[in-house]
Amino acid sequence: MVNFTVDEIRTMMDKKRNIRNMSVIAHVDHGKSTLTDSLVSKAGIIAGARAGETRFTDTRKDEQDRCITIKSTAISMFFELEEKDLVFITNPDQREKNEKGFLINLIDSPGHVDFSSEVTAALRVTDGALVVVDCVSGVCVQTETVLRQAIAERIKPILFMNKMDRALLELQLESEELYQTFQRIVENVNVIIATYSDDSGPMGEVRVDPSKGSVGFGSGLHGWAFTLKQFSEMYADKFKIDLVKLMNRLWGENFFNPQTKKWAKQKDNDNKRSFCMYVLDPIYKVFDAIMNFKKDEIDSLLKKLGVTIKHEDADKDGKALLKVVMRSWLPAGEALLQMIAIHLPSPVVAQKYRMEMLYEGPHDDEAAIGIKNCDPEAPLMMYVSKMVPTSDKGRFYAFGRVFSGKVVTGQKARIMGPNYQPGKKEDLYEKTIQRTILMMGRYVEAIEDVPSGNICGLVGVDQFLVKTGTITTFKNAHNMKVMKFSVSPVVRVAVEPKNPADLPKLVEGLKRLAKSDPMVQCINEESGEHIVAGAGELHLEICLKDLEEDHACIPIKKSDPVVSYRETVGEESDQMCLSKSPNKHNRLFMKAQPMPEGLPEDIDEGHVNPRDDFKTRARYLSDKYEYDVTEARKIWCFGPEGTGPNILVDCTKGVQYLNEIKDSVVAGFQWAAKEGVMAEENLRGVRFNIYDVTLHTDAIHRGGGQIIPTTRRCLYACLLTAQPRLMEPVYLCEIQCPEVAVGGIYGVLNRRRGHVFEESQVAGTPMFVVKAYLPVNESFGFTADLRSNTGGQAFPQCVFDHWQILPGDPCEAGSKPYVVVQETRKRKGLKEGLPDLNQYLDKL
Amino acid sequence: MFYLIGLGLGDAKDITVKGLEIVKNCDKVYLEAYTSILTVGKETLEEFYGRPLILADRELCESSIDNVLEEAREKHIALLVVGDPLGATTHTDMLLRAKEFGVSTQIVHNASIMNAVSCCGLQLYNFGETVSIPYWTDTWKPDSFFEKIVANFARNLHTLCLLDIKVKEPTEESLTKKVRQYMDPKFMSVKEAAQQLIHIIENHPESEINKSTTAVGLCRVGAPDQKIAVSSIEAMQQCDLGPPLHSLVIPAPNLHPLELDYLAQFR
Repeated sequence: MVNFTVDEIRTMMDKKRNIRNMSVIAHVDHGKSTLTDSLVSKAGIIAGARAGETRFTDTRKDEQDRCITIKSTAISMFFELEEKDLVFITNPDQREKNEKGFLINLIDSPGHVDFSSEVTAALRVTDGALVVVDCVSGVCVQTETVLRQAIAERIKPILFMNKMDRALLELQLESEELYQTFQRIVENVNVIIATYSDDSGPMGEVRVDPSKGSVGFGSGLHGWAFTLKQFSEMYADKFKIDLVKLMNRLWGENFFNPQTKKWAKQKDNDNKRSFCMYVLDPIYKVFDAIMNFKKDEIDSLLKKLGVTIKHEDADKDGKALLKVVMRSWLPAGEALLQMIAIHLPSPVVAQKYRMEMLYEGPHDDEAAIGIKNCDPEAPLMMYVSKMVPTSDKGRFYAFGRVFSGKVVTGQKARIMGPNYQPGKKEDLYEKTIQRTILMMGRYVEAIEDVPSGNICGLVGVDQFLVKTGTITTFKNAHNMKVMKFSVSPVVRVAVEPKNPADLPKLVEGLKRLAKSDPMVQCINEESGEHIVAGAGELHLEICLKDLEEDHACIPIKKSDPVVSYRETVGEESDQMCLSKSPNKHNRLFMKAQPMPEGLPEDIDEGHVNPRDDFKTRARYLSDKYEYDVTEARKIWCFGPEGTGPNILVDCTKGVQYLNEIKDSVVAGFQWAAKEGVMAEENLRGVRFNIYDVTLHTDAIHRGGGQIIPTTRRCLYACLLTAQPRLMEPVYLCEIQCPEVAVGGIYGVLNRRRGHVFEESQVAGTPMFVVKAYLPVNESFGFTADLRSNTGGQAFPQCVFDHWQILPGDPCEAGSKPYVVVQETRKRKGLKEGLPDLNQYLDKL
Repeated sequence: MFYLIGLGLGDAKDITVKGLEIVKNCDKVYLEAYTSILTVGKETLEEFYGRPLILADRELCESSIDNVLEEAREKHIALLVVGDPLGATTHTDMLLRAKEFGVSTQIVHNASIMNAVSCCGLQLYNFGETVSIPYWTDTWKPDSFFEKIVANFARNLHTLCLLDIKVKEPTEESLTKKVRQYMDPKFMSVKEAAQQLIHIIENHPESEINKSTTAVGLCRVGAPDQKIAVSSIEAMQQCDLGPPLHSLVIPAPNLHPLELDYLAQFR
């Protein structure tokens, strides 16, 4: 039975203050999908008894088989909150008057790092995040990554400690120990939050606090959960104490002495920590009674707790009975729902502070104000964050969030891709929205229209957008900001059809694959090779499987995975490089130099970016990197793609008509930054300075045909005279294992040029965490190698961390970078050997 | 030996006697085909000269000219250029490079638009700096030539505007690729030039040159069907002078009475 109908949901969509858009994020295997089941079952979509086993949001067969979430899945649910809980919502923008129902749009996201682009896409369309942490393993690398991303997008987090059943049954932790574990996790999470935001920021207080009810505890697998609010409710009447005050008492350094009935701030002989006494002890008792088959105790306990066992469950015992009891005593859905409704922001609240992060245009135009006020009457602004495959092969639902206005079936709208620029026609389509739909996990439901603040899918837009885009009815609207991914596609394979006649099918399949995944890149090299690039081995494996089975439907041959490299320079060019245009009448004088350490990362993360005000940017560069202010003001562009970590700086003095060749020089720079001189890999961390330019007097003789190739030749000469170097991507690798296996890990890492920089024991457990840097190039087969060397006890999580110079001179035959360059050139069909400086450098 | 031979402006027969003699005796003759064009095609020329010609596009003249000069050490090679061989300044580079190769050179001059423009009656003595008007793209709209026209105008000088021709020019996108794609050939008409000028004038309302300033359109100068038209720049936007090549003159503000009388014929 489903608890709600589409019509009910549509009515709720207008009550924007009662909407919660949220994502569930966590490290892999911390139990997101399992926990989500509790909510889904409360909404009546799956049977309560099966919650925790179904993983409703894992819709794909491979997700079910591997027990891992690969794609994020959205589901809309409707709940009612009880009167007594409603009083906790104090902000008038968090609840419509006289409305008890809440519409929760939930997105379950994958935890494996390789799929974190899915998380990014999910975060964009939600306002709140339920951060799930396995209380046994604690805060892990991916917990930190996704939390950081959430905060950067101004997503408010709440915390859930999962897998309490394991802590009790497997680790048999004492109650004080368990409290310490919880306390440590809360602290760790708050440290991360504090690093990336502060309380005076626009979101207000972001920290999570058990005594406020924004931290939940429980077991998704067994379907039970609670916050301190639930326990306070049980005791508030008995103690005749205010609920909120009691919640404060139940956490932290509060001790109660049952003899004297006095509270204290310190531990002494007779008193006991209130959290252990009032919260953990009852749970321990239930566990103890049931797991040790103390039949009499069980009955009296159940009576105390007010739990009645249904007839069909009466003859269960052990774990099965425990589940039933805990689930009826502390139903997980109820606790989660309260946390979500009370502590996560409504779109009305969230869009006020998120607008400036979301919209590229001026912050006072119609679209910006519409977003800020979450106004359904304003012009439509919708962001499409990903494409979801439909049952119709090759077609996709465009999935996204309406931030302003209404999206209506049959409405004519402007569909703008990421390259659209206001006033231009590029990447812009004016088309009719064929259909709007509601995404319900495994099902979709048609719906007439969707107002601002809601998440929905669109039919018919997929033909015009590659992966993401903005949909609007406002003619002067700018784009919504594109998403920044925390991982990059550094691992690539070349694919070809087993049967050459299938090539057109492969090409079509690659197009579909590119659409279906927010991160994957499908590149057609000029050599005719088809490249698929992904975040890691697992990501690529899934992509290629999808390509073979769903998108192209043909057998495919794939090459061994290879890594993409970056080209950079080690020194400033040792001479002024001159190149002449083909007609010899235009001359460019330039030099290359490495960027100071940290600047490429600053550009990657957008602290320094092409859209900044040039004066502010110059000030920043001069303060932090000691760049000359006048020069820093004249950064012509970033590249490749106009945003990359290389810059072109105009250091000329008084050159006439320089502006007329700027576009051509920039085009040449973009070209050279995308295909470097050594192996046609992207450049990274190179600053080019133009010192002088001699031009033909007549505009016709200094057009793009003359300047673009010349710029590239000159930049190549600059690179070759500035100690060219190669950079390779490096993973941050976190490995959990028991102590005995640590030795094996070191062995494997050493063989693969990895190095350990941190090793620590997870407090309260016998597990060790080893953190290491591992070159991506050495990571193929790493997981399997590690397992075989540690008896299957070590599990690594690898996430792209940084670029690092590959030691050695690529121009010196026999060195490691030389070999890489030669291999890459061969693969790309370039002339083997080293590039010849004389081809690029001209003489005066 | 490397010869640069001017072909004049009209048809095949405009070549000089000296030029024709050299063409007949050379081992190889290239026809430069990107700075200007004749009213007749390559086939007509071949028939008239009684020998085959090799088309030389921009890439051959700029990037691969070394191979041609290498050959010229041993053989007699001629490059035919429409108009005067040094009218398009780009060819001076060839002579310099020939010197580097130790190849001796000879130039055979001919009529060029630079002097034939006098057919409209404006005195050659009173011409200022010559400018070219390039085709604009969406992103590239240089207007520095307008400053020069204004400067000439202020000094009471005429300006000859050469209009862009694009023959086998690579497209902007393909410039950054390995495989070159070429645009269809196009030749700017006085109509298009006037439109771009009006565009610039609208952005420079304070300028001495305005929409009603006189302009002279010339086409196929030196050919039997040569045409000349005189009107305001604004009216010139509607003026259709037929097939290429076109040129535009912006006369000085104060003209000599004879110049006025001569121009009046074409109004």
